[in-house]
Amino acid sequence: MDRLPDGVTEPRWIAGAPTLAQVTDDIARPMEGRPGKLWYALFAVAVLGLLDLLGMATYLIANGIGVWGLNNSVGWAFDITNFVFWIGIGHAGTLISAILLLFRQKWRTSINRSAEAMTIFAVMCAGLFPLLHMGRPWDAFFIFPYVPNQHGPLWVNFRSPLVWDVFAISTYFTISLVFWYLGLIPDLATLRDRAAGRIKKLVFGLFSLGWNGSHRTWARYEVVSLVLAGLATPLVLSVHSIVSMDFATSLLPGWHATIFPPYFVAGAIYSGFGMVLMLLIITRQSMNLQRYITIRHLDSMAKVLLLTGSLVSYAYATEFFSAWYGGNLYERYHFINRATGPYAFGFYLMVLCNVIAPQLFWWKRIRTSVGALFVVSILVNIGMWFERFIIIVVSLHRAFLPSGWGMFYPTLIDFGILIGSFGLFFTLFLLFIRYMPMIAIWEVKGVVTDQQHGGHGAHGAGDVHATPAALLTQAVNHAE
Amino acid sequence: MSDHCNGAKDKLVALGARRPPDYWKSPEELRKGASLRGEFPGGLPSPGRDDHGDPEGETTRRDFLTLMGFGVTAAGLAACRAPEQRAIPMAVATDEMVPGVANYYATTCGGCASACSLVVKQRDGRPIKIEGNAASALFGGATCATGQATVLSLYDNERLRGPLWHGSPAEWHEIDERVGAALAEAHARQAKIVLLSSTITSPSTREIIERWRHAFPSFRHVVYDPVSASALRTATAAAFGRAVIPHYAFDRARVIVGLDADFLGTWLSPVEFARQYARGRAPEGPPTLHVQFEPGMSITGSNADRRVAVPPSALGAVALALLARIARRANEPEVAAPPDPVDAKTLNSVADELWRHRGESLVVSGCNDVAIQLVVHTLNRLLGNVGRTLDLDRPSLQRMGDDAEMATLVEELARGEIHTLILHGVNPAYDYADPGGFLTGLSKVAFSISTADRRDETSAAVHAVCPDHHFLESWGDAEPVAGMLSLCQPIISPLFDTRAVAESLLRWLGEPSDPYGFLRDYWRTAVLPRQQAFRDFDAFWDQTLERGVLDLGAPAGATIADPGGADWRAAAATLRDESQRAASPGGDAHYELALFESVPLRDGRHANNPWLLELPDPITKMTWGNVALIAPSLATQLGLGDGDVVSLTTADGAIEIPVFQQPGQHPRTLSVALGYGRRQVGKAGNDVGKNAFPLTRLVRGARRTWASGVTLASTGRRDKLASTQSHFSMEGRPIVLETTRAEFGRAGDAEKLPNLWNERPQGERSWGMSIDLDSCTGCSACVVACQAENNVPVIGKDQVQRQRIMHWIRIDRYYRGSEDNPQSLHQPMMCQHCGHAPCETVCPVLATTTSSEGLNQQVYNRCIGTRYCANNCPYKVRRFNWYNYTQNPRFDFHMANPVGRLVLNPDVTVRSRGVMEKCSLCVQRIHAVKNAAVKRGEPMKDGEIKTACQQVCPTDAIVFGDLNDPKSRVAQRMQSERTYRVLDDLGTRPNVAYLKKVRHGQTT
Amino acid sequence: MPSNVLVATFPHVEGLLHAVRQARREMLRVYDVFAPFPVHGLDEAMGIRHTRLPKITLIAGLTGLVFALSLQFYANVLDWPLNVGGKPDNTTLAFIPISFELTVLFGGLTTVAAFLLRAKLYPSKRPWLPATGVTDDVFALVLRKPAAEETHQRALALLTECGAASVTESEAEL
Repeated sequence: MDRLPDGVTEPRWIAGAPTLAQVTDDIARPMEGRPGKLWYALFAVAVLGLLDLLGMATYLIANGIGVWGLNNSVGWAFDITNFVFWIGIGHAGTLISAILLLFRQKWRTSINRSAEAMTIFAVMCAGLFPLLHMGRPWDAFFIFPYVPNQHGPLWVNFRSPLVWDVFAISTYFTISLVFWYLGLIPDLATLRDRAAGRIKKLVFGLFSLGWNGSHRTWARYEVVSLVLAGLATPLVLSVHSIVSMDFATSLLPGWHATIFPPYFVAGAIYSGFGMVLMLLIITRQSMNLQRYITIRHLDSMAKVLLLTGSLVSYAYATEFFSAWYGGNLYERYHFINRATGPYAFGFYLMVLCNVIAPQLFWWKRIRTSVGALFVVSILVNIGMWFERFIIIVVSLHRAFLPSGWGMFYPTLIDFGILIGSFGLFFTLFLLFIRYMPMIAIWEVKGVVTDQQHGGHGAHGAGDVHATPAALLTQAVNHAE
Repeated sequence: MSDHCNGAKDKLVALGARRPPDYWKSPEELRKGASLRGEFPGGLPSPGRDDHGDPEGETTRRDFLTLMGFGVTAAGLAACRAPEQRAIPMAVATDEMVPGVANYYATTCGGCASACSLVVKQRDGRPIKIEGNAASALFGGATCATGQATVLSLYDNERLRGPLWHGSPAEWHEIDERVGAALAEAHARQAKIVLLSSTITSPSTREIIERWRHAFPSFRHVVYDPVSASALRTATAAAFGRAVIPHYAFDRARVIVGLDADFLGTWLSPVEFARQYARGRAPEGPPTLHVQFEPGMSITGSNADRRVAVPPSALGAVALALLARIARRANEPEVAAPPDPVDAKTLNSVADELWRHRGESLVVSGCNDVAIQLVVHTLNRLLGNVGRTLDLDRPSLQRMGDDAEMATLVEELARGEIHTLILHGVNPAYDYADPGGFLTGLSKVAFSISTADRRDETSAAVHAVCPDHHFLESWGDAEPVAGMLSLCQPIISPLFDTRAVAESLLRWLGEPSDPYGFLRDYWRTAVLPRQQAFRDFDAFWDQTLERGVLDLGAPAGATIADPGGADWRAAAATLRDESQRAASPGGDAHYELALFESVPLRDGRHANNPWLLELPDPITKMTWGNVALIAPSLATQLGLGDGDVVSLTTADGAIEIPVFQQPGQHPRTLSVALGYGRRQVGKAGNDVGKNAFPLTRLVRGARRTWASGVTLASTGRRDKLASTQSHFSMEGRPIVLETTRAEFGRAGDAEKLPNLWNERPQGERSWGMSIDLDSCTGCSACVVACQAENNVPVIGKDQVQRQRIMHWIRIDRYYRGSEDNPQSLHQPMMCQHCGHAPCETVCPVLATTTSSEGLNQQVYNRCIGTRYCANNCPYKVRRFNWYNYTQNPRFDFHMANPVGRLVLNPDVTVRSRGVMEKCSLCVQRIHAVKNAAVKRGEPMKDGEIKTACQQVCPTDAIVFGDLNDPKSRVAQRMQSERTYRVLDDLGTRPNVAYLKKVRHGQTT
Repeated sequence: MPSNVLVATFPHVEGLLHAVRQARREMLRVYDVFAPFPVHGLDEAMGIRHTRLPKITLIAGLTGLVFALSLQFYANVLDWPLNVGGKPDNTTLAFIPISFELTVLFGGLTTVAAFLLRAKLYPSKRPWLPATGVTDDVFALVLRKPAAEETHQRALALLTECGAASVTESEAEL
């Protein structure tokens, strides 16, 4: 299937023609040598952020939710905004590894590893907030179902979107983690076999599960990755749909909207790719991997941003239209308030970042300029954070009864925890690129071989009988 | 028996005197004897230790009671004192107290001089809830916000633990000796002895004062009310020959004209008047009209059918203009009136209505101005209202202050003529027009005594402080209206080493100083003969004490002097001249200032009561401080915003105070609430708001609470205001629905929304509530009642500013129409107990569900505080515990100290940090009545369960009951075509319904 | 030193694939092939049967689905029915999200577990490496050592002619 129609040359995703050994060396080097100054600088900043998070969270739990700017009208603000923001970020990784795998997009090979790692770290940050935002976090275990006792029903409310969240996010985290680890095993084996130090040998030996590149295993391995990809794809879509139901199933004007699931998924992919783009740029600069993460990778990611950005903009427009067309008194007021009320600045910032900024990607010159990409990727993240803030706070602060209207003013603790979550995220990510192969060595080898001698080479990504449909037929054949 | 008790008393009092005893906090804790022993300062009074114990098992009973749940002093004394003096509980006529079972005692409110009759709920020796006494013809089962809060004043940690001599703790006998000496000396030298007190409604105390008059020829009793009805009494004397306050009957009036009289909020006897008002204006009854002329928006004005904003200086002119018109119709000689202060059409129509309803109309004025009151009296006389809507045969005795006398006293003080001054229930160093002058005068007094319960502005400057009991600790009686008596009995034995003022006065008089005995003797001699029902005194006493109130009928031989009319023509002339002078104001830069009593704080005597400090003003929704109310138009013109601090300068002084834009405010007048800005009242109340009393002055022998020629200057500073409602427009949403008498009567819109699912099986009962927006005046008594009943925490100014008020019931107030003179709407809003509750579906842990009886119930110990329910509640009635508001030094209000916590209702959980809470429709009361019914073995009756808000409501706006019982009152009300449910279109199916407000156009 | 397999290493994919095809034509029994990445076409060359893992996924997934649905039904209808927002006890629609999530979770985890079992992969297992660098850049074809001497020679010849960089004997657990 890798054969392209005559005249069309297979795009070259890896610059130059490195030998397999070179590939191993290039990717393993950062883990063996000392990282550059840039890495240390970034790491120091990240750790500061992490400490800030620890301090703020302790203060919060010691004193109570009152230290936030919340009030009777606005019961959620930064907390859930951050939660949805990070969950959104967490969507790109699995999307890249799963969906692009199914769609046989070869360009994913250099970026999926770090994207998946990012997913896992982002979901960890996200998972923090449902816990922190609780009035009594020490009773958090109440949200897991366990058998009732004489104290009454200790079942959870399976009708509550918050419980759906618990299941969706823990499933998503587990599956992503497993998927990521599975992809790591062959590389861990590679590292094990080239490791010098005893400890390294020991650790890699422990986690590489005795992988030895047997092709019988490879064959099964590929099927398993495809199965997981097949499972993860609907999972990705489900997770953010369910997150969006926290709002969609309520009855608040601005929350109660059927468009939310697709709208949130698009937004999630948008923000996720924004973050991946940003991280890749940081990584390839700080670890000089320009050869493996080429401009062409960045270019195609920019295209994804353009698409999803436009989807999100469409969703915004739809919301306003249906508010006007639906004619619901409260709905209408909400959207007028969104665009003209006290939080209008946030709304216009969101429009600038999510509607206008991605449109720049119509021009190839911008898609291929690292600087421009970096700036836009940051704008995307700002915009998506504000999107969630607008949806949550603006809907709450002026709901049905005007007597209950109020304003939300964030406190230092609010900001501290927001910043802190970035600290946690970047600490984990920088440790990852320092101590783990941030590019899937074995997959790149496949692509490299492929590029050098057209015909054969990397399997799976382009293998005909490894598509879900094929897998199903196999299953049936075996059943007989 | 009694000596045992006195012995116990001395012992325990000694304890009380040394340090505030540590009280028990929860029945659970008490059941564990050990922990109790631990916190029992003097050790347990067991037979072994208690040398006062007597053989007849008294001590064992006392031990039993102590163990079963009495606080240190409360226990020992309440246990033996109650039987000793036979306090008769309302519910069960027994002297035993069953732990955990509430007793109800009838008594009389000492919150203000209105002297409402009360029934107080006592749990384990502690009064924990004030209720109105349904047996009272005047007040019914209702009370006001202040009355509700008085129970917290009892447990005010700032109260003195015992008497003070020159500011340091002393023993009673020393003080008594010194007082005795001082009095003897004064008597010998014929030097003046003065008792300066607030209005004393107690006939027995007045009897004691009589005896002082006899004992000391040089003795004088001066009555001083900071906000007095002095002018009204003087005017009545001039017009009708009796220095009394007429007893008004608003329910008999079909046309009511109020001249700056906030009779629904603060004036004279608001609870009584509110009841009458609602009764008289029932939409089902004949059409009525209420026109209010006032400078600033009062709750009375907010309920009026027509409200006309007039500057205080023009009120006289308004009265005159009406008088001129009425006189013309009554063929009286022409009254030369000044040019009409408001447009003639209004005045004509008002006059027409008044005249059309001669004998069933009423004109009242709250102005403390003799001339105006004379004119108003004349109006009522010409309209033939005297004896019909205002009663002079049985006058009100609720305000007896005489401003002129007070003024003379202060002059005498300044001249050092007073030898001995006894201050009782007054605080002139705070609320007199010239506090400095008073204090210098006070310093010249040879011997000064105060009975204040704390070191306040005045008592800090006297020689001896002899703290009086709280009224819930003392015996007494009251006569709010002539011939309508009400008894006062202790619900708890004194917490601290205080002494009833009656006892002190008797003791200093050298008489047998047992107030209880004296009270009984007085009633035996003075009251028993005046009634026929009983011959035997003890039977009479027990019965009356249990019932709490007694109506002796009209006193004989009350004659009204034939009004000459000479006085009022003179008064009219003065008013005319004044209004002419006012008509030519000193330039544009001059404004008028109107001072008024606010509903939460009144005259400021309860300024340390956190419940009242945090009670939103019914109109401004402002808490924790007073503001200068300014018309929005004027504010824009001067470029002032809410919270901008301005300095207001009158001829008598100046205050710096933040402004707040108040729709309906007269454009040239600013209003400031009195009662704030206390300096020495306690942690909670010190320096809250600004004191406006010094801006008053004496005019024509009465204290004038307004000033003209006021200059206003912005200071450039800005204060953060703590208002609980920021948005006052309904944004055209169907929230408070209105109907007019015309529409009213047509069938309502009762189409029920379809249900997506099959209905769930109905429980045996379905609790519901109906709130009549037409009779709700917005008085906010329900807010405090709910707070008292449900242990709702006080959170302080900062938290209120952060919009975290915890009240379970709030009164939403919306405006309709123009900013200059809007129509106001009051809507009590609490959990609507939806049948399809949005909050329940979203709770992840099932912490809120619907009970089999239709209650939306909150399970505190299951709640993890995601706040999702509050977000999804369209009524925004759920309250979250942002911090730990109890036993938290950061929130140093009553729940932070052991004395203040005594007020907590043991039947209601005190919520911990991080959980959601909300109105439970007083589920604890529902269960109490259920259990009682089970014990009785007969089904509970409709109306037997009253929620706290319903019970306190003077206008009977709230009705609670079982919707499944078609005969129940609430079910009946649901049938009314006025019934609607707020935000019903969301499909929430609330169990709380509202009755539309009815607009009374005119009476025809 | 006892040996039961022949290990031939190749620098390139082509040589490897060619050798595998040849070997099978020559009726030599291919023990296994070792490569740093999954080589396209080896499955057919080696004639590996397709794995049945997908079936396990299907079964596990369905188990998760049934489990989730029955748990929610039991809790809300049988064990402790409560009036939540006036909704009926059995609101199946609201149970779908959780059911889906558990389907995926069960399916995914079981598949991976099954794979690790089948491939005998477990923590700190000592890997049997036919040649150094099979996890780096070396491709190794491992043939079962033929019993007959002349077959053995044929095998050696075949491997060298297919361009094997080295041919050694070694022992593997069969």
